[in-house]
Amino acid sequence: MIYKTLLAIWMAVIIVASFLFTEAATGFPGETSRILFFHVPQAWVATLSFLISMIGSAVYLAKRTVKADYVALSAAELGFLFCVLATVTGSIFAKVTWGSFWNWDPRETSIVILLMIYGAYFALRSAVSDPERSRVFAGVYSILAFVTVPFLVFVVPRITTSLHPENTMNPANPGMDPKTLKVFLGSLLAYTALYVWMLRLRIRILRLEGLRVRDLFRESDNK
Amino acid sequence: MKEGLGFVMGVNLIIWCGIAFYLFVLDRKVKRLEASAEDQGKN
Repeated sequence: MIYKTLLAIWMAVIIVASFLFTEAATGFPGETSRILFFHVPQAWVATLSFLISMIGSAVYLAKRTVKADYVALSAAELGFLFCVLATVTGSIFAKVTWGSFWNWDPRETSIVILLMIYGAYFALRSAVSDPERSRVFAGVYSILAFVTVPFLVFVVPRITTSLHPENTMNPANPGMDPKTLKVFLGSLLAYTALYVWMLRLRIRILRLEGLRVRDLFRESDNK
Repeated sequence: MKEGLGFVMGVNLIIWCGIAFYLFVLDRKVKRLEASAEDQGKN
């Protein structure tokens, strides 16, 4: 409970600091560079989440423990959510910077492909009615899906020319401004902690749903 | 502070307060359900 309260306060501090403590980077229109504090941590959490989903799937396939499948499913759901958030915030930035919400930039295209790959994961899960088979198929698919993540997130945007800003937010400086860096790292920490909270919550909900289904089966067997 | 920045910050804070409130409520609800599921398991 304490860590959740601290997180709530910490995130509020990060929001205030990202507007009051830092200066907007040069080379970007208006205040748009401040999106760094929200968009990049969202993309980071999405990538982390897909990795956790892959690990959960591998553990499930190796040990066949339902909890590992809960982890894989929860992580895939949250990864998808944060990926959508990163896409939306990115397209708002694109509208202000490049004049259009969507430009089919390599990074925009690769994130859409990623969303489609993980959208198919949920379709696959819901298409198989037998829970055991559904878990196995989803586990195998999740591992294969993650193989594309490093390629789509790190390789594709770098091998082609992209409108997307690279590792520095201030082209006039060799690195990131120290104040900006502090708030950015604080934001990464806050988003990661928020993700852990949401992931644990979702796993607990899936476990409760599993118990409820088991009870319903028991009741029908007793009748 | 530039014009409009305070408004955007306020909107961000309100959204975050809403998310945090929802997560706290959900957390409590899940805890209660877990406790009742545990009681059912004992009985």
